[in-house]
Amino acid sequence: MSDVALLGQVEIRDRSEDASCVADNGAFCFDWAVDNFDRYVTPTLEHLVLVTVSVAAGLVLAFALALLSHRRRWLIPPLIAGTGILYTIPSVAFFVLLLPITGRGTVTAIIALTAYTLQIIYRNIVAGLANVPEGSKDAGRGMGMTPGQVLWRVELPLAVPEIVAGVRIATVSTVAIATLAFLAGAGGLGAQIYSQLDFKTNIVLAGGLCIAMAIVFDLLLQLTQRLLTPWEPRRLQRRPAAEVDGALEVPA
Amino acid sequence: MAGDAARQAVSVEYREVTKRYPGASGAAIKSLSLEVPAGEICVLVGPSGCGKTTAMRMVNRTVEITDGDILVGGVSVREQQPAELRRQTGYVIQQIGLFSHRTIADNIATVPSLLDWDRDRVRTRVAELLELIGLGPEMADRYPAQLSGGQQQRVGVARALAADPPLMLMDEPFGAIDPINRERLQNEFLRLQAELRKTVLFVTHDIDEAIKMGDRVAVLKEGGILAQYATPAELLMAPADGFVEDFVGADRALKRLALLRVSDVDLWQAPLAFVGQATSEVRAKLDGAEVPHALLVDSERRPLGWLSERDLARDTVPATPDASPNPRLEVDDVLRDALSDLMQAESMYAPVLDGRGAIVGVLSVEVISDFLHSPAAAEEEHTAAERPLAE
Repeated sequence: MSDVALLGQVEIRDRSEDASCVADNGAFCFDWAVDNFDRYVTPTLEHLVLVTVSVAAGLVLAFALALLSHRRRWLIPPLIAGTGILYTIPSVAFFVLLLPITGRGTVTAIIALTAYTLQIIYRNIVAGLANVPEGSKDAGRGMGMTPGQVLWRVELPLAVPEIVAGVRIATVSTVAIATLAFLAGAGGLGAQIYSQLDFKTNIVLAGGLCIAMAIVFDLLLQLTQRLLTPWEPRRLQRRPAAEVDGALEVPA
Repeated sequence: MAGDAARQAVSVEYREVTKRYPGASGAAIKSLSLEVPAGEICVLVGPSGCGKTTAMRMVNRTVEITDGDILVGGVSVREQQPAELRRQTGYVIQQIGLFSHRTIADNIATVPSLLDWDRDRVRTRVAELLELIGLGPEMADRYPAQLSGGQQQRVGVARALAADPPLMLMDEPFGAIDPINRERLQNEFLRLQAELRKTVLFVTHDIDEAIKMGDRVAVLKEGGILAQYATPAELLMAPADGFVEDFVGADRALKRLALLRVSDVDLWQAPLAFVGQATSEVRAKLDGAEVPHALLVDSERRPLGWLSERDLARDTVPATPDASPNPRLEVDDVLRDALSDLMQAESMYAPVLDGRGAIVGVLSVEVISDFLHSPAAAEEEHTAAERPLAE
């Protein structure tokens, strides 16, 4: 696309400085971005839906697989291999493969994006459960918890930090991969980027929205983890355990 | 107090119990029979691989019995649902196994909540137990990571006691604690036990701990064979075979001293002297005395010092004798500590005082050594430790 063609698509405002920025294809034309921001709202919302639904579905699926393989440990290697294979399918190929089955649209994109989250989240749940101290499980069993009670009252709560860590990685990577969802006809910020590939302000703005979305998701998930794991020591309220019992009181 | 509603402790009886793990060549436990009377601490001790933990775990069926049976309070554990059985049985393990995601109060309330106690009852019980283990009520809302190792282990014990089980299983409960705190926790547990009178199966690899904690000690050797089951005193005086003798150690005579107090031995008497007394009188008493030195005491018979030859060369007994009366021992001192004091002070004799500080006799290394070889020693050891002779 030439500059001329590009200019044809851009609504030129009467401020000359701004117009020249757009004409020169400057790194980031702030006024243009402000004036045209409404164009980015729908793609951002589409992107948000893609990420939220895919990660939520991935979490539910991975969780089910983890529960399934918890007492059938022989299932873990094939499940890791299987989700690993899904993870390696190039996204373009994935969309194309799905097209005859699910057609173009959001559903196709969500299926592929969900499949990509499985590997990360499943592995983290399995690792989280494996890292639960043997003593805690032994104590739970020895005090008369049934296997289900040990799982839900001891193992899963203790695995929460690792599970949330998996969801965080999966979310951030899904925000990135979802920029290709437009190839399946699912819109999103990727569609916006692709629509004006050689207009720098557009790339910076749409890309920036992706980054901002990833950061906001990550912060929200971090906050969620803190709320879910009040027992985890925090820098501010960490209380060193006294070395000798007599000296147990640490002034608050 | 917790003890009021305490359930009657129960006896535990192993009947020809054998455990074979699948794939293992030999048995982990071979035809083990022993009986633990209600309210006593039975310590299972032995080198690693002797099956002591396996033997303990078959009681609450965290390990299944291959052959034979275990009766708890006369009822076979094989006839009970594992989860039910375990909720009736206190369980303390070396790794403590506190739930790090639950507060101290919630940890202690584990079994009561499995038993669906109502909220108020649980809260009362938790407060009671925190007091019992000497933790302040403000600890209730903390998490395990905020407690020291010793405090965590106390919480582990409280958690096991929560539903007031008649039987406690303790698998190396103090094994991961530093020596100073371990000793403190052992003493605390013995104090608790004197009050609660639970039946306790206690696993350790440390013979000193076994002798200290056990009313009875079962020594197991490799292959899960019971080498000897006896009171600590019997174990030290009459090891059943070479294995037990080796296991209790070459210092078993010293270990016996740990079971005794100064008041258990027949002390010698020293001639007593008072300030201003004629030395001729004192010298007369020295002839044929058990202790060949005179001890200067005040009017309350509290020792002031030993009189030297030079002191006795005067006409009257001086107020400031040459030799100090240290080390001074008390009748309640453990005999091993008393011996250590004697050795450390490089002293032949030490005056032994009663609660008011008055002299009751004199202890010497010779007294101890004579006592250990006397037939009276065996008798004394049992009464001293308030442990009845077996059978």
